[in-house]
Amino acid sequence: MIRVNNIQKHFGALHVLRGISFEVQKGEAIVIIGPSGSGKSTLLRCINLLVEPDSGQVFIDGVQVNRRGIRHEWVRQQVGMVFQSFNLFTHLTAIDNVTLGLIRVKGLTHDKAVEKARVLLARVGLAPKANSYPAELSGGQQQRVAIARALAMDPKAMLFDEPTSALDPEYIREVLDVMTALAREGMTMIVVTHEMGFASNVASRILFMDAGKVIEEGTADQIFQHPKEERTRAFVSKILR
Amino acid sequence: METATAFKLREPPKLVTRITLIHLIEMVVAGLLMVFVILPAIFNFSLLSTQFWNIYTRFYVTGLFGTFFYVALLLPLSVVLGFLMGWARVSRVRIFSWPASLYVNVFRGMPPLILVIFASLFGTSLIPQPILDRFFAGFRRGDIAVGIAAIAIGMHSSAYQAEIFRAGFQSVPKGQVEAAQALGLRPWQGMRHVILPQTFRLSLPPLGNEFAVLIKDTSILAAITGIELVAKSRDLLGILPASGLPIVWIFAVWTVVAVTYFVITYIVTRGLRLLERKFHTPGLEAISL
Amino acid sequence: MADWRKFLRDRWRYIDTILALVVIVGSLWYIYDLLVGSRGLDVGYITRNYGLYLHAVLTNVYATTIAFLVGMAIGFSVGWLRTARTLPLAKFVVSMRVERRARSEDPAITEVSSILLLFVSLVWYGAKYTVRRIGDGFVEIIRGTPLLVQILFAASFFVVFLPEYATEGLLIGIVALAINTGGYQAEIFRAGLQTVHSGQIEAARAIGFSRLRAMRYVILPQALRLIIPPLTNEYIGLFKASTLLFVLGVQSEISYTAQHQGFAGDVFEIFAMVTAIFLAITVTLSFVVQALERRFRIPGLGIEAVRKPRGVKMPAPVA
Repeated sequence: MIRVNNIQKHFGALHVLRGISFEVQKGEAIVIIGPSGSGKSTLLRCINLLVEPDSGQVFIDGVQVNRRGIRHEWVRQQVGMVFQSFNLFTHLTAIDNVTLGLIRVKGLTHDKAVEKARVLLARVGLAPKANSYPAELSGGQQQRVAIARALAMDPKAMLFDEPTSALDPEYIREVLDVMTALAREGMTMIVVTHEMGFASNVASRILFMDAGKVIEEGTADQIFQHPKEERTRAFVSKILR
Repeated sequence: METATAFKLREPPKLVTRITLIHLIEMVVAGLLMVFVILPAIFNFSLLSTQFWNIYTRFYVTGLFGTFFYVALLLPLSVVLGFLMGWARVSRVRIFSWPASLYVNVFRGMPPLILVIFASLFGTSLIPQPILDRFFAGFRRGDIAVGIAAIAIGMHSSAYQAEIFRAGFQSVPKGQVEAAQALGLRPWQGMRHVILPQTFRLSLPPLGNEFAVLIKDTSILAAITGIELVAKSRDLLGILPASGLPIVWIFAVWTVVAVTYFVITYIVTRGLRLLERKFHTPGLEAISL
Repeated sequence: MADWRKFLRDRWRYIDTILALVVIVGSLWYIYDLLVGSRGLDVGYITRNYGLYLHAVLTNVYATTIAFLVGMAIGFSVGWLRTARTLPLAKFVVSMRVERRARSEDPAITEVSSILLLFVSLVWYGAKYTVRRIGDGFVEIIRGTPLLVQILFAASFFVVFLPEYATEGLLIGIVALAINTGGYQAEIFRAGLQTVHSGQIEAARAIGFSRLRAMRYVILPQALRLIIPPLTNEYIGLFKASTLLFVLGVQSEISYTAQHQGFAGDVFEIFAMVTAIFLAITVTLSFVVQALERRFRIPGLGIEAVRKPRGVKMPAPVA
């Protein structure tokens, strides 16, 4: 479904991604863990082309997307993204946030868009908050609206960039619940997170990244209980209590 | 399951609150008191005197229309220029941002009077001769000079507005631009639906202020024979002794002028504040200086 | 084929910079050429007369400074008066009712003293409110009318009531400027005092300070530091506005321009000199402002959205 082949990325002198390759099957939920600065966010952004890789290929459904002739906007409709800082549009209500893409990108009429948006907001548990502005919502609610907004595009896969890292602890649960439900429904997802509980429960595979390379790959059990690499062991022991 | 009628989109906020009305009433009452009771008592003139208005009216009307004309010309001009310059300032393309920075710093650093005087002195030289002949053949040199001086005032204001818009642009969190891209919105769509609405809302409060300054700055054209309120009022003062009214009636003239400017700026600033309130969204607070 | 495209993309920064400089230098040169061009720059004029213009600008600095200081006194007093806090009318009425009920239940307090207290409270409330609104009105008038009109008004005042001083352009100018800056500074002082006001007096009282000492040791030090950036910006703005004094016949660089441009035609040279001197002063002042700001800044505390019509400082983006 999503395949990444030998991705390299430099930011100036900094070699952020040093040849990343992996594959995600349809319906899989994989989790990427690793220390900050390892390039996880950059990797995600290479998949939906918010960042262009210097070399390497990105394949979505067998189609190489990081080449001339492919419109970035098309790519981003195939793959939805949820950000660490939510990035809701502050001047729009929750429902307007969701309908913006529906109306302007998908071309739905206003009424159809509102209808679809209401269904999505109900799905993430925020039906009564449809008319609230982001500033009136808690962090967890904002992130759930962001998820609904991304889902509105009917993406084939979803990318989550540390979705709960900016949340107060009491709100993390509600967002993880939505993501878990999504995974169980069969959505292909790549999640960058520090939430190991979520990783153990939901992920079919876990990738450990450090300094721009994938160090180790395996099931939750393999990575957490029997890590093969030294760096993996060091990182996991710091994260798990 | 909610019925179709149960769900409504959010209603816009109320425009006129109680405080607004109270302040308005206070102002009108105080203004009337000042102008018709207090000042006449101190300075011994009356704004109700027909003799006064007999001679002043035509000066006043000419001047007022002149001022309106300049304001109507310069407000839109300065906004457009200011917006473009502000946008250019935040651009990463240096071909845009550096000249824009130069423009902004020069026009903000110079006092408007200096700009006006020098614009009137050599402004006409700046227009290439062929254009002068084609479009402006019918105008006197002096009138063109005043026109250019007026534009100079507009450019001065646009420099301040450029800074306001710049701050507005920069106050939109970068992450939202990313989010718009991630949704598949094209760059111009992101501009139109995400950045510009927020820039506009954030810029409104300081902008209203700047408009008031622009309106007041048109009075500077009085220094160089522009046709506007202050200039015309000074003309009246020239013939005041001959009219038979005691000299203290100077204050009558200036009071009228002051009140006029006050009313104009009040309408413009409060009008913009109403606009502000109409578009206000919680979470988009004013730019802090 | 793809090579030169990649070549361009790699070197884009440099191309960009060079083109930007070309645009700037090009347009400046074009303007220079239009204005001076064939005539040639009259350097002699500059060397002969720069002292004159320098002196004129310094007159402006002098006038600005005096007006600013006087204005500070005005601004502070009016600003202070405008911070007189009055409860919204509804709350005031409620508090009066509560007070009255409490008093009626206490047999030791007489009817007369209650009425007296009520009366005094009303008068005090009314007085505070009026004083505050008068202060507001003063500021609104100053801000709602052009400086030129204010200057002419002041001149008229002198002509009518103090004719012996009517020809003292500088004096009239300083008076007008002082009142003008007083109005703007009143707004600055009010904002400064109020920004600190809210919880700080209560906290200070809770520690045991009296109102006066709270003011002296807690409010004023903070307020003073908050006020410095807008105040210095006001100074720069006042300096630029002081050019308007020329209408009063104050000998200034402007009147020199008017006199000289007629026969010499050295307009550009005059413009260049005046611009240079002005920009030198405003840029220097801006640096001083920034240095002062950095020195006195209280992290996390700043005057928000004080409307600064003549502020030189750029509005800072929200973090």
